[in-house]
Amino acid sequence: MAELDVAVQVAEASQLGMKALGAGLAVGLTGIGTGLAEMSIGSAAVGATAENKDVFGLVLLLTVIPETIVIFGLVVGLLLLF
Amino acid sequence: MFTPEQMSRILIAAPRDVMVPVISELYRRRLFHIEDFVEDDHEEYEGYRIGHPVEGAGETSKELLRLRSVTSAFSIRPDDIEPSQRLSASRLKDQIETELPAIEREGEELLATRSGLENQAKELEQKIDQLTPFTGVPIDLSFLYGYRTISVLAGSVPKKVEIGAPHEEYYVESKTGNLLIVAVPNEYRPDVERTLLDAQFQAVAIPQESGLATERIAEYSARLDAVRREMDDVSSRIDSQREKHAGFLVACDELLSMDVERAEAPLRFATTDHAFIAEGWVPSESVAALSESITEVSGRRAFVTELPIDKGKDVVPVEYNNVSFARPSQLLLDVYSRPKYTEIDPTLLVSIVFPIFFGLILGDVGYGLILLVTSLALRKFMKGDDAKMLLAVLRNASISSIIFGFLYSEFLGFPIPGVYATLPARHLNIGGEAGGHGPAVPELMIMSVWIGIAYITLGRILGVVNHARQDHGSHRIFAILANLGWIMVMWGILLMIWSAFPMPLMPDLTGFPPLILGLSLPAILGAVMIVLGIVFIAKESALEIVELPTILSHVLSFARLVGVGLSSVAIAMVVNFIAIGLIIEPQLENLTIFGVIIIIVGVVVFLIGHLMNAILGMLGGGLQSLRLHYVEFFTKFYKGGGKKYSPFGMKRRFTED
Repeated sequence: MAELDVAVQVAEASQLGMKALGAGLAVGLTGIGTGLAEMSIGSAAVGATAENKDVFGLVLLLTVIPETIVIFGLVVGLLLLF
Repeated sequence: MFTPEQMSRILIAAPRDVMVPVISELYRRRLFHIEDFVEDDHEEYEGYRIGHPVEGAGETSKELLRLRSVTSAFSIRPDDIEPSQRLSASRLKDQIETELPAIEREGEELLATRSGLENQAKELEQKIDQLTPFTGVPIDLSFLYGYRTISVLAGSVPKKVEIGAPHEEYYVESKTGNLLIVAVPNEYRPDVERTLLDAQFQAVAIPQESGLATERIAEYSARLDAVRREMDDVSSRIDSQREKHAGFLVACDELLSMDVERAEAPLRFATTDHAFIAEGWVPSESVAALSESITEVSGRRAFVTELPIDKGKDVVPVEYNNVSFARPSQLLLDVYSRPKYTEIDPTLLVSIVFPIFFGLILGDVGYGLILLVTSLALRKFMKGDDAKMLLAVLRNASISSIIFGFLYSEFLGFPIPGVYATLPARHLNIGGEAGGHGPAVPELMIMSVWIGIAYITLGRILGVVNHARQDHGSHRIFAILANLGWIMVMWGILLMIWSAFPMPLMPDLTGFPPLILGLSLPAILGAVMIVLGIVFIAKESALEIVELPTILSHVLSFARLVGVGLSSVAIAMVVNFIAIGLIIEPQLENLTIFGVIIIIVGVVVFLIGHLMNAILGMLGGGLQSLRLHYVEFFTKFYKGGGKKYSPFGMKRRFTED
């Protein structure tokens, strides 16, 4: 009986750990995805702004569009944890 | 309030001999946005030409150019200077003739002296650099050059070299590089050079000097010091000149700029030999006063009339028309794009909602206070209108941050004792002593989603209004229906979700009995709304269908209000735990001298950590809430691209009539 209890506890603990891992992966991988996406947009945006300052607002907007990806990751992570 | 200032199109026609007084009056009033005249553009302007500058414009321009060269050399910028008292224009005119040339001459002389000294210093430095490798050489440098039959090679080598040909050499090792000086008869020079090249010899020029290298360096250093002292002296004289004349110079700059602008105004008018016509824009409420005064100064010879506005063709300049509270947020709008004349101006909404979003993200009394103090303190140092507006935005945002700090009950990550969190708590379980029941993440999420739904719906409604105001004919109906379609699809999806799953803080529609295909009444209603909405969207433009997923992504995007906020809370709590829980508290139990030092370290960690987090919070809170406006809100209704209203005239800061 005691062994069973321990086994249940271990299972619960590892379940928690898996959740934490999943949350971490969700945020981390989506963060990398966002970073990759913003990399080229950002450099092009800086170039465009150097040419013409008026486009700053527009390129800021374009640059942050991929941020949605990491927000999704964050949502998933938070839902997993809480 | 939600529309830009109303503008009227004005035409002024007058004989040429009253052009100067009319221009002066327009300039003084600072209301008339000149529409530049383009030749061969309109039929009705046949025979008109672009005007010539008023007499004397050339000289004034030249004078201004000279003045600008001096001010820029003194690095005086008008924006940096607080106007102390205003100088009278007529006295300034005399002074420009009497005093300005002397100041300019003096400035030019000082600058010439300084650049001459700079050149001297550079030369001396170069000579010292050249001599430095030879500091170890114990002979007179004049023995190293000037031979007809012997070549002298000097340079650094990684290690000692064996040279086959007959030669004399001097070799000394040092940390900075081994110096090798070789003297060979001219006929062996190519062989020796090849050998040295193989040994990675790097030649240095032999200085054309006499005497020991160390002595020469000492002498040059002394001269260099003298030159530098002289440079300091000149620089301080330049500084004192700047101090003395800055106010006068910027006033001259202003006066001359005004003269030049006035003198060149005819370049933007349509003229004939005897008359001129100026077209432009004036805020409607000022039309009567302006036309009255123009007629007055021209001796009732100018004809001023209001022209009809063709909304399709005319590009009306846009001036914001906001209450003073909303005015700083115009900066945020200008960064994106100024609204078009016919468009809704969302500045007021932004000025209210931006601080709220900022507070939702950075809801912390401590950080709010830090930012409030920073924004107030920076007002002393940051000059210029844009900086002032930015600081005002920051001030409003930090006040909102303090208010939300009380609502969240947070002070630098700690719960505020005695203040019950009205909003769902954000205190994480860090260090195992958060107290309470941990963060209420699901509630926070739902809250942010509700905000998203509300704000996006508002955006679409504004879209309906904009299309109703701007478009015509069948396109107008389709555009309005498409915007309604977007709202219907979003709420349809919500209805279907609510009828399928119960959710906290949202209506629970799961109780309705299924009617058809297992769907309950709200679910059917939702499905109908979705289908109808998609049809409306597709009728305007079928391509828009691919944008449908943005309904989900834009609403969920508002989750950043929670996500970014929680991360800032987490950092604050981690800083608290490390500084207090891990460093300070264990020392307090039995205090030693060493323990006091550790405690000081803990305090430093605490301060630096929270400072960093305050900066991060400001950037995060500011950029994220700005982004929510730009991407999630503005894309629903706002186009922008309006032309800035820049009236002919100048805001005088240093001079008066």
